[in-house]
Order: sequence, then structure tokens, then C-alpha cells
Amino acid sequence: MKLSGLVRLAIVLGMLLALGLMPAAAQSCDGEMINLEFMNWWGAAREAYMDELISHFQAENPCISIENQVQPWDNRAELLATAAASSNPPGIIMTTRPETYQFAMSGLIIPIDAFVEQHGTDLSVFYDGEIGIQYWNGELYGLPMPTAGGLTSLFMYNKQLMAAAGFDPESPPETWQELEAMAAAITVGDPLGVDVLGVSPFATDTDFVNWLYTNNGKYVSDDARTLLYNSAEGVETLEWMINLTNTINGGVENITDFYQDASLPEGDHPWYDSELAFMSINTSHFGHFNVNRPELYADTSYWGTMLRPYNGENPEATHAGVTGYGFSGGWAYTIPKEHPPEMQEAAFKFAEFIGTHELGGCAFLFKQGRPSPVKACNENQAYYDVNPYWGVVLAGLETDTPVPITPVQGQLAEILRNHIEEAFFGMKSAADALNDAAAEGQAILDEFWAEFDAGM
Amino acid sequence: MQASLQAKHNSGAANWQTRLREWWFRHRSLIGFVFIAPWFAGLIIFDVMPFIYNLYLSFTDYQIGTRGAPPWIGLDNYIKIFTEDKFFSKSMYNTVYYLGFSVPLRLFLAFFIALILNLRVRGMQIYRTLFYVPSVVPLIAATVIFAGLLNTRYGMINQLFVLVGIPPVRWLSSPDWIKPSLIILSLWGFGAQMIIFLAGLQSIPQDLYEAAAIDGGGSLRRLRHITVPLMTPTIFFNLLIGVIGGFQVFLQVFVMIDTNGGPLQAGLVYMLHVYNKAFRDFEFGYAAALSVILFLIIFFFTVALVYSSNRWVYYGDEESNEA
Repeated sequence: MKLSGLVRLAIVLGMLLALGLMPAAAQSCDGEMINLEFMNWWGAAREAYMDELISHFQAENPCISIENQVQPWDNRAELLATAAASSNPPGIIMTTRPETYQFAMSGLIIPIDAFVEQHGTDLSVFYDGEIGIQYWNGELYGLPMPTAGGLTSLFMYNKQLMAAAGFDPESPPETWQELEAMAAAITVGDPLGVDVLGVSPFATDTDFVNWLYTNNGKYVSDDARTLLYNSAEGVETLEWMINLTNTINGGVENITDFYQDASLPEGDHPWYDSELAFMSINTSHFGHFNVNRPELYADTSYWGTMLRPYNGENPEATHAGVTGYGFSGGWAYTIPKEHPPEMQEAAFKFAEFIGTHELGGCAFLFKQGRPSPVKACNENQAYYDVNPYWGVVLAGLETDTPVPITPVQGQLAEILRNHIEEAFFGMKSAADALNDAAAEGQAILDEFWAEFDAGM
Repeated sequence: MQASLQAKHNSGAANWQTRLREWWFRHRSLIGFVFIAPWFAGLIIFDVMPFIYNLYLSFTDYQIGTRGAPPWIGLDNYIKIFTEDKFFSKSMYNTVYYLGFSVPLRLFLAFFIALILNLRVRGMQIYRTLFYVPSVVPLIAATVIFAGLLNTRYGMINQLFVLVGIPPVRWLSSPDWIKPSLIILSLWGFGAQMIIFLAGLQSIPQDLYEAAAIDGGGSLRRLRHITVPLMTPTIFFNLLIGVIGGFQVFLQVFVMIDTNGGPLQAGLVYMLHVYNKAFRDFEFGYAAALSVILFLIIFFFTVALVYSSNRWVYYGDEESNEA
């Protein structure tokens, strides 16, 4: 009987211990449950990581339930616009920087400064540039994750192609000139265009801006009121891009054809088949590479990571990355205005968890081998196990320069892209293309600022 | 007395029935109205009201997030479209180019195949099914398939070209070839028009052909003087639907190229421009104005086609019918 009592006691103690060790998800909500729809674009392998993040959050916040609504990329703009503008938007939305600004201007989302103060959120944990670009008109609208930086400063390179062309695979190109020489030696044509590609500048505004900063150029003035890309550095950059495309790659159409239907996330890309020597990457590519070709990812004799080359003939130029331009310009998690305060607060708690918690964005990005906008997260030495070139990634982040943008950035980008395309197709000179684009874009920018200043 | 009352009652019931029958006969069209009421309600709620609201929005600066009445700006959107928007003319040109080729080619192809499928050949039902099946494939699926076929490097078409010594074509990467690619894709779904043509062909009285044959009319003459004239109402219908659909082309470009319309915006069709203004730039008022202009253009073409149909569409010998 005594033994039986001890056994029973041990069982009870064991159960209590188990309860103590169990994640707090088992805790029940003793108040009113708040359900949040989380509209996001963390698809593919990241969906499972996000589910894990959510389960950790719910374990700490049993009264908040998050519904992970991963959205398709197709019709993204349409989905987002209609959801954000509706009278019943999602509880929290993953937005790009231009969208954050547009929605802030339209009053669709709320600034989160009051929540930051109320919750004592420490914003100093973020890199200044990362949190800085989430402010519009002096107010903070979202916490960042992943980084806006590290999206343009890095290249992956194929060591085997370099060695086959007679170059030292451990000495990747530092300058435009070295890159061009190696690309010329590596590129192989065929009747359908290019079979093996050295490197490809793209006929897009984004790629032009990326290269512009490696020639010590600037896109726009610091106050975002004056377009500056039609400078001498800009013209030189565009001329170099076009010249390389025409002389080595056989024209812009070859490049479009080479990349037709290629997708790194889906595992169908010339990079995986040793048909591409130098590839501009963003930090998400490490995760995609690892997921799609783990054996190749682990083989560092196949690939390396380097910083984006700079113009070696410009003494002012050096390695540089661009933060806050491009498509996303810096993702954030924004809170719609339509919801009652308790839902907004719950959404902020989740955004804060994503942004700053160790089990939030920190762990989420670590699994993908990509950096976090939170400085401390990136100091985790285990990153070197996940990403063999982690040191280069951090060096790339150091070179990033934030680009100020406005809510009319989409239109400015479209204008620049169209004129750059015309220059690539030989319809106008690089100088004319940039001057025309700047004149057209500046008119839109002036109109925006005139309206903005009038409304102040 | 009893019999008299019964007769009176019977007479009253008969009168009542007669009156009801007469009333029903006078108002027999009511049953038609009852049956079309759901469709009519749908027309009002889902077409007329959005159209009127869209018309109203086109005179406003309606942006995403606007609460309450959007700011009224009169004709500003329309003035901007005609004076500042270079993509308006570009997208309109691309659209007219597309429909200028795709509509006649599709009509011709559908008519030609319908003529063949109207022959009396063993197993014709199978052939008809085979030709119609592509029309059942959703447009988005067909577009994805074509994107693969037209891939410059790995697409089957260019691979065949190279095999027989023809230089590969940059279907989707060259500004010169994007519109032809879209036109080729548009021919894929000719089956729906073909079926309408086939139905039209089968309604042509055989005695006309027999009479023509007796008079020595060959196949081509019969086609020219009997088939084509009697098919003009069907041709007109397919032409009208084709033009309206051609102006609204969107999905193929959206899926196969990109929202920018491909290199040098060679594939930027009008509806894509409307979409970009609404959902990329969030200028809904402006996009509404673009939509109204498109409506007016389609309306103009429809009226012009209907007007012109009096000259070339054969609706039967109306005078002899009246006689």
C-alpha cells in the first residue's frame, strides 16, 4: 500500500513536472480570445518556420490566436490593396516599404509609436538603417523582418567555372573591370543565345541603382526631393551595364531568354546547373539554395560568396549595397486602422515578437541562413554552421546605404525602368535615358511634395 | 329553385374563369418578366450600379483608403489621360494591334475548321470533339502551356525550328515578337466560335445547295454565293463578341509576360494599364476614368458594327416574308 502511495505520488509529481516543462501553449486563456489573421508572403519552406514562430508566440500569449494566411504571389498587389482597403482587413499585414508609406499616407494603418512606448519596446536592438526606413513623416509604422539590407550587396559565384576559365576560384573579382574580364572568359554562346553566362546586368531600374552605388552615385537626395541618378556616375554606370550586355552577352534579349522561367526558390535555375558564374543575390537565396540542393550548398568547392564589385576606375567607389530600394524596400508588419484597440494591441504584440524576440524573427531567419535586422541575432556563432559565408554576409550588411523613398516610388521606378530599357535596346543613349527619366520622375516627385507640403 | 341556383353558380364560375383567362391572355408577357427577373436583378446590381459608380469615381481623385466621398476633380483624370499619359496611347495601340490581327484570324480559322467539320465523313463527331476540347481548357492553363512552348531556349517550337534549320524566334523576349505571340495564343481557343459557325452551317437549307449544284455551281461558288451570305449573321455575332473580348485582353499578358508588358512595354495592353493604375499605383479614380474610355471605345465599335451590319449581314428576304 505504501509503495502504491509512493508510485501515485511519483506519478503526480511527474505530471506536475511535465506540465511545468510543457510549452505555455497548453495554458488556457483566462480572458477573451483575440483572433488575428496574419496576411503574409512567407510561402514555400518558410511557411513551416512561420507556423513554428506562431506556436511560440501563442505559447506566450494564450489569449491571442494567429491564423497564418500565406498569400500567393500572383495578383499580390490586387490582394493586398483590396484587403487593406476593406472594412474588415486582416489583423496584421506584411507590407513592402512603398506599401507601408502608401497605406500610412492613406490612413489605412496606424503608427505604432504609442505601443512602442507603452510596451517599452527597445528599438535600439535593430540596426539604425533597418528601423529608420520604417518611419514615414516622423512616425513608426512597422517593425522590420527580414533585413532590407543584404539584398543587393552580395553575389554568389561559381568556383568551378572560374577555375575552368583559368582564374583562381578563391579570388573572386573585386572591381567591375575584373568582373568583366572573367565574365568574358566564362561566357559561352550557342545558337539559342547564351549557354553559360558570366554575369548579367539587367535592364531594370533596380539593377541600375544597385550598380550605381558601386560607382559612388546616388539615386535621390537625402530629403527624397531631388532625383540624382542622371549624374556623371549614373551615366557611366548605365553605359558600362549596356556595354557589357552587348559585347559579352550578345544583347539584352539573350539575358531575358537565359533567365526565362528560372526560379531559385523552385529549384529550377541555371545557378544549380553550373551555367551561371556570378549571380547577384539577396540573403534569402542561401535558404532557397540549401533547401533545393543541400548537397551542392554544403560543397564550398562549388560556390562562394563575394561583395558586389565596384568601379575600379573611380577612386571614390567601393563595395556598396542599397537598402530600401528594390521591390520590397524593407518588409514590415503593419496594423490596420479599422480594428478595435484590443486587436491592434494584440497585433502589435505579434509584430514585436516577430521583430525582436529570440524565438521570433531571429530564429525564423537563422533557419534560412539569412541575417536579421536585430544586431544581436546575427552575432550567433552558429550562423557559420548554417551559412559558410556568414562573414561575407555581415561585411555586405556593413556596406549598405539606405535610400530614401516616397509613396510615389512605384511610379518613379516604372519611369526609370522604361527609359533604361530603351537605352538597353539602343533606342537612346544612356545619358538621354537617364535625363529623360529624371525629368519625368522629378515632375511627379515635385507634384507629390507640393501636395504633401500643402497638407502639412 | 335548386337547379336555378346551381346554373347561376355554374354560370358565375364560368364567367370568372373566362375573365381570368382573358386577363392572363392580355398579361401573358408577365410570366416572361418573372422568369427574367433574377437575371435583371443581377444586371442592375452587378453591372449597371457598378458602372454608374465607376463613372462617378472617374470624376474623383479616389485613392486607396479614401473614406467618405472622394474629392471631386471634374475632368482632370480625363485631361491627364489625353495629355500626359504616354501609356494610354501605347497600351491602346498594342490592344488595337492585337485585336486587329487576332479577331480576323480567329474568325477565319474557326470558320474554316467549321466548314471542314460540316462535311459528312465517318467519325466526324470525334473530330468535332477534338477540335472543341482546347476551348474547354481554362485560359490560364493554356497560357502557361504556351509560355513553355514559346520559351526561346527550351520551348518546343524553337527546338523544332533549330532542328529544321530555321533561326529561333525570341517569342517573349523581343519587343517585335510579343504581340504576335499573344495573337498565336488567342487562336488556341477558337472552338467556341467554331461551334457557333457549325450550328449556323447546319441550319442552311440543303435544297439551296442542291439547286446550285443542278445549275452547275461548284464548291467554291456555293461557298461564296450561298454559305457565306447565309452565314453573315453568325459571322457578325462572332465578330462583335471577338472585338469586345479583344479590347479586354488581359489575362494572357498578365500570366505570360508581366505587369509591365514585357520589353519596351510591347505587350502592355489597355486592361493591364488600367490594372497597374488601380492596383500598383492605387489611383482608383484614374483607373476608373480609363475604364470609362474603354467602355466608350467598345460602345463606339459596337454601334459602328451594328450600323454597318445593315449593309453586309443577310437576315433573310424580309420583303417576301412580309408578303
